[in-house]
Amino acid sequence: MAGQAGGTPSTYSPSPTTRKTKSLILRNDDVDWVRTDGREFHQCRPAFFKTGAVNAAAGSAYAEFGNTKVIVSVFGPRESKKAMMYSDIGRLNCNVSYTTFATSVRGQGSDHKEFSSMLHKALEGAIILESFPKTTVDVFALVLESGGSDLPVVISCASLALADAGIMMYDLVASVSVSCLGKNLVIDPVLEEESYQDGSLMLTCMPSRYEVTQLTITGEWSTPKINEGMQICLDACAKLATIMRECLKGPDSALEE
Amino acid sequence: MEVDRVDGRTPNQLRPLACSRNVLNRAHGSASWCQGDTKVLAAVYGPKAGTKRNENPEKACIEVIWKPKTGQSGKTEREYEMILKRTLQSICILTLNPNTTTSVIIQVVNDDGALLPCAINAACAALVDAGIPLKHLAVAICCCLAESGYVILDPSKLEEQKMKAFVYLVFPNSVLSALPEGHLKVQGEPMEHGIITSVTQGAMPVDDYLHCLERGRAATAKMSAFLRKSLQPKLPTE
Amino acid sequence: MGLPDSSGGFLSELDVDAFRRLFPLQFYESHLVKSKRPDGRSLAKARETSSALGAVASADGSALVKIGSTTMLAAIKMEVMTPSKESPDEGCIAIEFYMPPICSPIVRPGRPADTAPVVSKQLSDTILSSGMINLKELSLISGKAAWMAYLDIYCLDADGALFDAALLSAVAAFSHLQIPVVSMNDEGKVVVVSEENEGGKEPVNKEKRKLTLCSIPFSLTCILYKNYILADPTAEEESIMETLVTVVLDSSGQLVSLYKPGGPVLAYTSAIQDCVALTRQRVRELQTILDEATAGMEVD
Repeated sequence: MAGQAGGTPSTYSPSPTTRKTKSLILRNDDVDWVRTDGREFHQCRPAFFKTGAVNAAAGSAYAEFGNTKVIVSVFGPRESKKAMMYSDIGRLNCNVSYTTFATSVRGQGSDHKEFSSMLHKALEGAIILESFPKTTVDVFALVLESGGSDLPVVISCASLALADAGIMMYDLVASVSVSCLGKNLVIDPVLEEESYQDGSLMLTCMPSRYEVTQLTITGEWSTPKINEGMQICLDACAKLATIMRECLKGPDSALEE
Repeated sequence: MEVDRVDGRTPNQLRPLACSRNVLNRAHGSASWCQGDTKVLAAVYGPKAGTKRNENPEKACIEVIWKPKTGQSGKTEREYEMILKRTLQSICILTLNPNTTTSVIIQVVNDDGALLPCAINAACAALVDAGIPLKHLAVAICCCLAESGYVILDPSKLEEQKMKAFVYLVFPNSVLSALPEGHLKVQGEPMEHGIITSVTQGAMPVDDYLHCLERGRAATAKMSAFLRKSLQPKLPTE
Repeated sequence: MGLPDSSGGFLSELDVDAFRRLFPLQFYESHLVKSKRPDGRSLAKARETSSALGAVASADGSALVKIGSTTMLAAIKMEVMTPSKESPDEGCIAIEFYMPPICSPIVRPGRPADTAPVVSKQLSDTILSSGMINLKELSLISGKAAWMAYLDIYCLDADGALFDAALLSAVAAFSHLQIPVVSMNDEGKVVVVSEENEGGKEPVNKEKRKLTLCSIPFSLTCILYKNYILADPTAEEESIMETLVTVVLDSSGQLVSLYKPGGPVLAYTSAIQDCVALTRQRVRELQTILDEATAGMEVD
């Protein structure tokens, strides 16, 4: 019992002293700086998807983009909460939470309310809610490790998990974000780039239908920049969707083709 | 070899037991149980209509709420609640009142060692007092293992601190049966030798655990006689 | 029971999956008499177990463990604290077990599973009482600074034997743990020494990068049902046959914990001895799995 001295003593993370100087290169308005992971400005991180990660769930998917790692489980359609009123269409319930070790400093590992509602809005338009009246589909996401662009990864991963669960959708939902750093637009930013950005744009769409389900813009943007950013995102989403589709087909079907 | 106990008891000697039933007016059943200076109060409410959370169309549900003497309940209390709940579930006949909930509230009055066994004994007496259908009673005992491998029973708080390992054991009470002897034997062992619950703390050799089992079994015969005696006088009046 | 064999009637036409759902006990019994389980295992066999170290890049030590489809992700983060006055040269370990909503249909956001805090408590009791970790090794500067090791274990997929998988992931994470090299700065704060910035302060713990793990605890959960003992149950088995016994033995064969929380079946001495014997075998299996995982790391 020696390890559990009454009450937890206050602790701190022994963070390295040489942090700030290193990443300030980003702030230069020069056009020719290099991204920390050596990517080009309009190049996404390699995406990895895998469906069926959680057996206990009706459908699930794991996604890994660089250091960003998320798992999404889908449960249902199942009985709605008792207090819910009757409804002709199905309900969607979303929750996003972080592990305590997701960030470099140990966090509390709590629910992320804002991301939960954004995920809900991003998916709602793509799901055919009429196909499961009275019942609820639960979409739960856990960010295992946060490496930047967390929400777009969660959204793409969630749509894959929904497909894995056999929930009817109009199309897969793919999501990509760009950061505005000085004069440059940087696609699929990592955590460090996100912390220095002047503005961010996240676009969620159904690529086959060429329809946008969600668009959020924060920070300082000029109209031409927004247009440019949206176009970059739409192109990237289309490419992302082909990767997601390949994942759904599985290795067996890939061999047949 | 001998370990001197602070209060001069022999290793197998239990502290004086005391049990009184129906101590609370508004509960459906209640009991207080003392082992020396350790005292626990148990109250039983129910069976009440099943709440949403515990709904089960086939079985009755038991919930246990553990109230520590001071402060808020933490992980230890949650663990005790779980152990108590599982233990009580296995002695109750759950199929008689399906879709109901029976609440057992445990209030620690004083902790002077062997708290969990004391609470289990109290809860068991309170369930009898509330008239909840039971398969049999349960008796709980704490065995302590000293550094030298020496076993003492029913430790006080002071003794607990000096010990390297504990074993909390719950057995069914010994049955007085009209059937011929040996009827209730399972695999050549009488029923009351079977363990309902076992919780240990601290590392020990396996043989020492088995030794604790034997000593615990021997002591529970005395405890179940006491339990039977303190529960009996009330029966004819009801 | 006889139900599965009864000829004619609707039972014979019943589809296997429906039978499994409607009469789970009969379904299991028809397998148990043949000493087989529905997933093809023999009664005493544990599911396939794997462990991968270093799954979380942002942690100081981490491990991903799978037993069948039960999956645990454990990560250790080291922080600095001022040790207590009673034990000035000892560090501390804080263990927390989480069951996020993704792991099981039973858990919902805002309503945590009531088993999670109980497993947390059992894990910390087991790890501390096994003496696997010498808390003195977590000391940095006597009386001034010591390590607080936060071990967080997330259940990613719950399919029975949660404690076994959680304990294995905890042990694996500790064996992977690399303590960061730190020094004390002028303000009395402990900071990480980075490689390009070595000048100035002398690191405090250059030699103490790894913990020595002695007497590592391993566990096996068994189900008691009638006279059968089923090792390493799945979630389905746990919900149908409710008597569980968890035995924890350390690598030197000492009994660290024998946990049987109630259950309709009574455990007699012979059953206890059988469970302990099964655990002994399992300890050897798990030890090999852990050794292979650590050996794999050293090659890299």
